[in-house]
Amino acid sequence: MSLTPVLELHKISKTYAGRQVLSGLSYRFTAGEYIAIMGESGAGKSTLLNLIAGLDSPDSGEIRIEGEVLPVEDEAATLLRRRHLGFIFQAFHVLPHLTLLQNVSLPLLLNRLPLDRAPAMLAAVGLQGREQDFPHQLSGGELQRVAVARALVHHPRLILADEPTGNLDQDTAGEILRLIRTEIKTSGASAIIVTHSHTAAETADKILKLDSYGLAPFHSAQPENRQ
Amino acid sequence: MTPALLTRWLLLGEWHSHRLQSIVAVLAIMLGVALGFTIHLINTAAVTEFSTATRSLSGTSDLTVRAVRTTFDESLYPALMHHTGVAQASPVLEITAGVPAKTKTMHNPVLTILGLDVFRAAAVTPDLIGVPAEDKRMDTLADDAVFLSPAAMEWFAVKQGDSIEVSTGAKQVKLRVAGGLTRVHAGQRIAVMDIGAAQWRFDQIGRLSRIELKLQQGVDHHAFRATLDKELGPSFLLTESEDDDIRARNMSRAYRVNLNILALVALFTGAFLIFSGQVLSTIRRRSQLALLRVLGMTRRQLLRQLLLESGSLGILGSLLGLALGYLLAATALHHLGADLGAGFFPGLEPRLHPDPLAALFYFLLGTGVTIAGSLLPAWEAAHTHPAPALKSGSEYTVLAALRAPRLAAVCLLAGILFSGLPPVNDLPVFGYLAVVLLLVGSMAALPYLCGLFFSALSHALNPGRSGVLTVLAVTRLSNASGLAAVALGGILVSFSLMVAMAIMVASFRISVDDWLTRVLPADLYLHSTIHQDMRGFIRDEQQAIAGIPAVERTDFIRSIPLTLDPARPNITLLARPIDENNPGLILPLTGVALSPGDIPPDTIPIWASEAMVDLYGYQTGMRVTLPFADPAQSFIVAGIWRDYGRMFGAVQMQLSDYRNLTGDDHISDAALWLKKGAVTDTVIASLKALPFGNTLEIMETGRVRAVALKQFDRSFAVTYLLELVAIGVGLMGVAASFSAQTLTRVREFGMLRHIGFSKRQIYRMLTLEGGLLSGFGIAAGFLLGTGISLILIFIINPQSFHWSMQLHMPWTWLLLMALAVLGAAATTAFSASRRAASGNVIRAVREDW
Amino acid sequence: MRNLFIFWIVSGWLAVQGMATSAPPALAPVVPGKILEFPDDFGAHNDFRIEWWYVTGWLETPAGKPLGFQITFFRTATRADRDNPSHFSPQQLIIAHVALSDPAIGRLQHDQKIARAGFDLAYARTGNTDVKLDDWSFVREADGHYRTHIRAENFTLDFTLTPAQPLMQQGENGFSRKGPEPEQASYYYSEPHLQITGTIRRQGEDMPVTGTAWLDHEWSSALLDANAQGWDWIGASLADGAALMAFQIRGKDGSKIRAHAALRDAAGHIQTFTPDQVSFHPIRTWHSARTQADYPVATRVRTGKIEWLITPLMDDQELDARTSAGAVYWEGAVTLTRDGEPAGHGYMELTGYVQPLSM
Repeated sequence: MSLTPVLELHKISKTYAGRQVLSGLSYRFTAGEYIAIMGESGAGKSTLLNLIAGLDSPDSGEIRIEGEVLPVEDEAATLLRRRHLGFIFQAFHVLPHLTLLQNVSLPLLLNRLPLDRAPAMLAAVGLQGREQDFPHQLSGGELQRVAVARALVHHPRLILADEPTGNLDQDTAGEILRLIRTEIKTSGASAIIVTHSHTAAETADKILKLDSYGLAPFHSAQPENRQ
Repeated sequence: MTPALLTRWLLLGEWHSHRLQSIVAVLAIMLGVALGFTIHLINTAAVTEFSTATRSLSGTSDLTVRAVRTTFDESLYPALMHHTGVAQASPVLEITAGVPAKTKTMHNPVLTILGLDVFRAAAVTPDLIGVPAEDKRMDTLADDAVFLSPAAMEWFAVKQGDSIEVSTGAKQVKLRVAGGLTRVHAGQRIAVMDIGAAQWRFDQIGRLSRIELKLQQGVDHHAFRATLDKELGPSFLLTESEDDDIRARNMSRAYRVNLNILALVALFTGAFLIFSGQVLSTIRRRSQLALLRVLGMTRRQLLRQLLLESGSLGILGSLLGLALGYLLAATALHHLGADLGAGFFPGLEPRLHPDPLAALFYFLLGTGVTIAGSLLPAWEAAHTHPAPALKSGSEYTVLAALRAPRLAAVCLLAGILFSGLPPVNDLPVFGYLAVVLLLVGSMAALPYLCGLFFSALSHALNPGRSGVLTVLAVTRLSNASGLAAVALGGILVSFSLMVAMAIMVASFRISVDDWLTRVLPADLYLHSTIHQDMRGFIRDEQQAIAGIPAVERTDFIRSIPLTLDPARPNITLLARPIDENNPGLILPLTGVALSPGDIPPDTIPIWASEAMVDLYGYQTGMRVTLPFADPAQSFIVAGIWRDYGRMFGAVQMQLSDYRNLTGDDHISDAALWLKKGAVTDTVIASLKALPFGNTLEIMETGRVRAVALKQFDRSFAVTYLLELVAIGVGLMGVAASFSAQTLTRVREFGMLRHIGFSKRQIYRMLTLEGGLLSGFGIAAGFLLGTGISLILIFIINPQSFHWSMQLHMPWTWLLLMALAVLGAAATTAFSASRRAASGNVIRAVREDW
Repeated sequence: MRNLFIFWIVSGWLAVQGMATSAPPALAPVVPGKILEFPDDFGAHNDFRIEWWYVTGWLETPAGKPLGFQITFFRTATRADRDNPSHFSPQQLIIAHVALSDPAIGRLQHDQKIARAGFDLAYARTGNTDVKLDDWSFVREADGHYRTHIRAENFTLDFTLTPAQPLMQQGENGFSRKGPEPEQASYYYSEPHLQITGTIRRQGEDMPVTGTAWLDHEWSSALLDANAQGWDWIGASLADGAALMAFQIRGKDGSKIRAHAALRDAAGHIQTFTPDQVSFHPIRTWHSARTQADYPVATRVRTGKIEWLITPLMDDQELDARTSAGAVYWEGAVTLTRDGEPAGHGYMELTGYVQPLSM
């Protein structure tokens, strides 16, 4: 396993609406790791994800993805995000007027990659044969499968997932979590999953806790390896 | 390949899901472009037609000599023939003859007959030489023969060998159709005959209308024109073909400018619709757009995508508009004529000419306006932070951008200032700018005012007594006033335009009605088949008219056209008995007139219409020249009167003065006062029984008024049409805004349903919101519309048409319109909410659509 | 009797049906036995339907080159209503033709004008020869000189014509029969051997010329027979001071309807020839590519025992005015021999070779 960090946080601070959310946070994420971040509400989990995604910029500090400093300038940050990152949201965020195949193809189109990966990816998340369906024909779990497929289709180095099962019932949630893990591991990408749910967190290789002191291993992180 | 594909997917998806809104926006742009293009096409056709027709009458002439009056003495002809530099002079007597057979079906049926000397015309206007029958070649010189253009043949429904009957004043003239004028401009309704015959048959012995000159080779036209102008003096005018073009443009300018502005208003409305549509669409799609940004779409890509969305609607609308405009123009030309029914260009059948440059202009205008309308919301959407936008409930931050009280204040202030500025190049440019600024300013002020109003209302409401629905509706309107104002803008714009037009047209119509009462004091009016007949009625005929039993008093009026400026349409000289001590008895004076004592003995008093003030700078007390008889005679403007009949200018003078000056004792019109107890029909019958009775057009004052008002309505037909269009566009805007707005609130309704509201209550709340909002919009629109109507009435109308009018508020009509819009808006709000709420609103709470 | 142009106008004019209101104006007849009175008969005769002053002649340039020319003024009375008080009433029309034959150019240069008489712009005055059409004029002065000024499209002529011989009254003391009917006649006198001095302006350059001209003045109300196809005419001021005039009117069948000739010697003795003594025999024809007409440009003319051989200065002296006036004829400078001996110069006119005439 390479020791090159896929993501490196270096003394990042962020004040949000007058409140110090992150202060001097530093951490190195190793490539290929699947990490869960837990924390209280308001601990800055979403802020951290936004900063990593380049959707927001830190007040100070530096974020490196694959060794590249995440630029502050929007256009450059967007290009970096487009190439290296994949996203899975609690609210699915699927474009309602595009077919499933079109939705999954979005990252390929934006990165000018061949579109033939999209059907395979849809099949991999168990939606083969439904390429031409529209989102309103799908259940919540199915929608999140589409989101998983979209997050991975362009082979990003890092997947960011924000409460991916927050809108799902327990059974479906388990199913989706397994799918996310399987697919991430298959693709070889690293992943950061932000969640309240222990069940969700436990599918990760490592659980980190975010609090005012920074990121630290969770109390009883199971060192159990699932390779 | 890929980004283009993405663009297409997103475009199709958006159109597909918001078909109605897209259609409405396309329709609005289409209407604006269509109207502008139609007016351009019609006007171009009319001006081209008019100048081609006029030019074809002058042929290859280098210079046309005409007089201030319609005719002048023929002795100028040999003098010009002998003039140095003149190669050929072709004398023309242009007869404006009446066609009695057509009086039933048309107003003022005129046939222009050109009296030509074929031998002279051959060198200048060969196309105007008649083609006689093979065996009657000398018909070109015959004194009973006339040659008709194809359009005239068709109009009379005659062929070679038939005869036609025309009239000049009380005299009827029968002419043999000796052949055609095969090479005259298509659609031009004219006739040609020998000049000697025309002088004789139409009682114009010794008179000419113009002389067409061809100059010798090498003669400097400019210098020649200057020399000749000086030699001939002020009674004569020299024109070249360019002057005719300017004249034609001057004729159509007033209506053209006004209609063009209306087209711009339609485009403006379209742009506003696009704007509000885009605002709502970006609000609705806020999280989707944010997702695209998160997935890696750059700001520029997103901005381009959004501009493309509205831009493609603009392109579609503009293309449809061009097609519709062409169609409309063809239809209007066919049914209304080149002047849209105003009667400026008789005897012409203009045809449409494709005009790619103009089409491109209107296309770019339509597309540009669309893109301008969507620029602000698209910019906002592209520059918003995607992370918070992914979360629901952030919609209202968009609308902060729309609150622009400072812009509003600047626009409103500038609008008020602009309304006080004089016309530019004879056009009320600043007046129109003021209207646009008031509209923009009001729209910009609307969210602010709306918030102010509804928060005051919500404070005033007593939650206990007012009921939960009212409280909810008012609170929402006060808190989300930006969003509400988007819907409100449509009502404001369309209703204010409706109000402005309604007030303007009503004021105008009532003013015209009052004016008619003033200028038509007698019981009966009569004139010959056509107006301003060259011959009219001679002394014997006048005596016969005045001698009819039961007629108490007869006023004779001589009405002739005068050309004071060859680049402008003719003014009218009206000579009639005027009581100098009290000219206001007959003239609707607008200010203080000179009394007889103020008139210097070496001058002759004339009373000038308001147009003379604007166009020729006349003022009461001013000494002026009217070189129609004795060029040295000085006149004094003794008063200014209002004239809705002759927008190109008119002056009145004493009939006796006119006769002394010109020796012309013919008259054109007569006003008859009947003795008490006289039966109008009997008098009319006695008039009809006169030897020339069948050439008389007799009108009772009531009918004159009716006809005049009918003509008025006809001239405003287009305005009424546009008013309807404005109402339509406004209601479409209301519908689109309300439906879109309701759709963005699906989650809100879901929540309300969760806490126990019934569907019916939600509908009622929405209807209430719609009603309150429209009520506010209508009130604001009424104020704005009244302001605009004041500008129209007191600034734009006098500046474009050169007449003034008084303000009259059509309250009933305004109230009806307000109720109609209110009803339509509330109904729209209700039906839109019904549609929106009929989906699974409960699910909508959980679902981030 | 010349020139289709005028006849076309006249014939067309007479065909006009019903000038609306009143009867056509009365025309004076041509009757035998009338004594021509001068100077009045030099002037116009407005009561007669048609009238012309016709000048033809040979010129010599300073370089000694020959040129031919023709100047014609017609007056024609129309049937326009005499009650029409308009000054534009087309009661008399004035028509003028001018042509120049220059062998260096090889074809005619010509121009024409037409106008209604009036406004002193166009007229044919009575009392003495005085005709004018815009800036074209032909005037006889009290001392008998003629002055003419013609500004044509391609050239300008300014000539003074001085009589060298007395008038030559044609026919029977100026009464010249043209057809089988006695009223088919005209009053006709000629002035041969008019001495020309003057200038021709071409391309802005004045060129002095001298020469000899022949003037015809003829007026009539009825001329040609219905069967007439056209005519051949010749007028020559001969080198020995004699003057020859001969014509024949051809029928539609090619026959000779009427012919006449007069030969006046230098001493003033006139010899006239009856129709059967005068004959025209074509020797050579010239084909016009413009009109497809064949003109007998070289002709043998017999007057009694005398045989005249006529050869043209150049072949193409055809005047094609179909686009404007509708007439086509051949009018050209010719050289004559008398019984084989050179006799002098003259002008020949050939009409009716393209289409028959109707009069």
